[in-house]
Amino acid sequence: MNIIEVNGVSKHFGRVTALENVSLSISRGEVFGIIGPDGAGKTTLYRILCTLLIPETGRATVEGFDTVSQMKKIRRRLGYMPGRFSLYQDLTVEENLKFFATLFGTSVEAGYDSIKAIYRQIERFRNRKAGALSGGMKQKLALCCALVHSPSVLLLDEPTTGVDPVSRKEFWEMLASLRERGITIVASTPYLDEVRQCDRVAFLEQGRIRGTGTPENILSEFKDIFNPPPLSLCKTGMPTSADDNIAASSASHAGEDAPVIEVSHLVKTFGNFRAVDDISFSVRQGEIFGFLGANGAGKTTAMHMLTGLNQPTSGSGRVAGFDIRTEYEQIKRHIGYMSQRFSLYEDLTVSENIRLFAGIYGMKSEEITVKSRELLRRLKFEDHKDDLVKSLPLGWKQKLAFSVAIFHEPGVVFLDEPTGGVDPATRRQFWELIYDAARRGITVFVTTHYMDEAEYCNRISIMVDGKISAIGTPAELKQRFQQPDMDSVFTYLARRAKRSSD
Amino acid sequence: MKQFVSFIIKESKHILRDRRTMLILFGMPIVLMLLFGFAITTDVRNVRTVVVASPLSAESRQAVGRLAASEYFTITATVSTPQEAELLIRGQRADMAVVFAPKRGGIQFIVDGSDPNMAQQWTAYAAQVTAGPQSSAVNTKMLYNPQMRSAYNFVPAIMGMLLMLVCAMMTSISIVREKEKGTMEVLLVSPVRPLMVVVAKAVPYLLLAVLILVLILLMARFVLGVPLAGSLFWIVAVSILYILLALSLGLLISSLAQTQLVALLLSAMVLLMPVVMLSGMLFPVESMPQVLRWVSAIVPPRYYISAMRKLMIMGVGIREVAREVLILMLMVIVLLTIALKKFNTRLE
Repeated sequence: MNIIEVNGVSKHFGRVTALENVSLSISRGEVFGIIGPDGAGKTTLYRILCTLLIPETGRATVEGFDTVSQMKKIRRRLGYMPGRFSLYQDLTVEENLKFFATLFGTSVEAGYDSIKAIYRQIERFRNRKAGALSGGMKQKLALCCALVHSPSVLLLDEPTTGVDPVSRKEFWEMLASLRERGITIVASTPYLDEVRQCDRVAFLEQGRIRGTGTPENILSEFKDIFNPPPLSLCKTGMPTSADDNIAASSASHAGEDAPVIEVSHLVKTFGNFRAVDDISFSVRQGEIFGFLGANGAGKTTAMHMLTGLNQPTSGSGRVAGFDIRTEYEQIKRHIGYMSQRFSLYEDLTVSENIRLFAGIYGMKSEEITVKSRELLRRLKFEDHKDDLVKSLPLGWKQKLAFSVAIFHEPGVVFLDEPTGGVDPATRRQFWELIYDAARRGITVFVTTHYMDEAEYCNRISIMVDGKISAIGTPAELKQRFQQPDMDSVFTYLARRAKRSSD
Repeated sequence: MKQFVSFIIKESKHILRDRRTMLILFGMPIVLMLLFGFAITTDVRNVRTVVVASPLSAESRQAVGRLAASEYFTITATVSTPQEAELLIRGQRADMAVVFAPKRGGIQFIVDGSDPNMAQQWTAYAAQVTAGPQSSAVNTKMLYNPQMRSAYNFVPAIMGMLLMLVCAMMTSISIVREKEKGTMEVLLVSPVRPLMVVVAKAVPYLLLAVLILVLILLMARFVLGVPLAGSLFWIVAVSILYILLALSLGLLISSLAQTQLVALLLSAMVLLMPVVMLSGMLFPVESMPQVLRWVSAIVPPRYYISAMRKLMIMGVGIREVAREVLILMLMVIVLLTIALKKFNTRLE
């Protein structure tokens, strides 16, 4: 018998279609993947399965119980991990676990067998507050909390988003062991390596199921989306100032040969914790520099120092020709910055956003008009220039946010995980924009958790425990550590971390 | 039952670990009580007074003596013409002038009327003091508050405001916080009954509110010297009824608000403003326009403050506040029913 049956389920929120005639069946003991871009309806599907939402049409059953009329029976048999880690940040690890155990009418002792393999890894931190854990540890704790009452079905809504590759691997190893014990797992993920570990997957797009089958079948059937042809690595190198006067003017402080970013012996300590521990590197003009590292390795702290948001404890550095210790106001004016969380105002239109950010960087009104028309044409956004940003798909927002970040032609642009939550094809289109910017002489400094994106960079550095443990072109690194791809290089280096999990 | 207890423990830990909120919760009553008790007071004290006297008669001299001796007035100058006195008042160097007419023994007050309420009080006080105990034609006797201390008026009002604020705001924020963080999803998916989640959320705040109530009562009695004339049992009982009402309001807000910010604004704007303006705390309900009087009829603190004034200051029995108590009870029942109906077992 199929443990989960979904028949012709539809769900709308106002005029937005979240799910349209979705049918699925998942058999007992399967690891079933739900893949698709953000906004495809994955979370709505999960919420219908765990009885939080009522489908408009159609019917869903879990273990043979109807999600509408037999809610209680389902709730007892279900483990659910919502998209955000559903932990109480101000309670300790142990308190969280105890609370969720009693919530489901059991105790930690009674449920210990079903969680011990996972809990043992975090047990030594049991008196630490959940808010002070790293992403990977929170995820383990959340999994323990969802497992403590020995559910027969585990629903995981993007459990590994924002978690570094090593923690992700460990997480999927745990899922494999749960499967051995006969627990059915439904998980969604944006990562292709995780998709391949599922028994079957369903590809959801705009509320409809585009296909269901083994990962190989789905990935090859929709290979335009999941396996876009690789970017042709163009020769960016050092552009001559003759054919690129815009970049040359904005980076004039840097001069011809001087690197755009130069950092030596940079240290940042918080108390006696060395978040960034003596790093040195330099980035040339027009280079795409990938800045990788596990959660908590010190990437964000380093980036904050480079963008003038934070002062280094010791060491020195220059960005776009300005000293990061003394001339941070100048730096802010000569760089672009795009973060995953904050980039555009959702309640302003596309052209209002462009105008606003251009104004913040002191561009002239006529210049803004001319350049924004050109930008809208290049992005093919002309028809949408008066649309509110919140009505755009995530991939469009990201492209727009990036274009806005480089609108004032900065010497360097910093991108902090710019491509979360979209499918590989959309990510590839984003990278075309990055290449375009690099060709115009803008230096790109980017962090990412996607290792296929790391391959797109000219050079990458990998941070482990606050230090840079490797730096070079992707090809060099693969050769040096004798690994087949960047993913393995990263795992190889990050597994040697001492503090990664605390 | 075990789930219920562990829920309450968890909720109490949230409250106890949030030091800043705790500080505000207990600091606010203390600061407000001290402010209203000592600083913001409508009591008449040290009014700067000018005496206008061409040759003083013996009678007038006695009156000036009484003025000077009272703690209400301080005589800052003695001048000979009313014009000079007016100049002093206009020059902000005096608040009022007492003019003794040289012949007929009449008295005129010249008062800075920019604050009409205070001006009226000063005149009344001055009239009483200058008239002297025996000669007064009209005799006033203040019941319950012979010294006319404003703390008597403010303490019940502060109780009405603070208890509403603490309960409604804190419960609504703590429920909405779980919605925002995503933990509410897991709570709903668990086999626990939603009613239990709600009740367990309310219990710690109920205890907290009772603690604050005790704190206010202690301060009122021993710091501000306000008598607790009525029965302590009924004061606390009516207060708990009112706390329940505030908790159900908070619950209702939490089912409307999706983010902590909205919950905060709703409880601050929708609750606090009417409480301060329309409950009779600052302005007497009786002198409001008819429309506002209708509105104030549904503002719960109005009945609580009125009941507390009667119980605490006047010291009447519970029977005299039966009307207020009945209205409060009715409100609790209606609000709690709506709030529990609105609290969803699902996300929509």
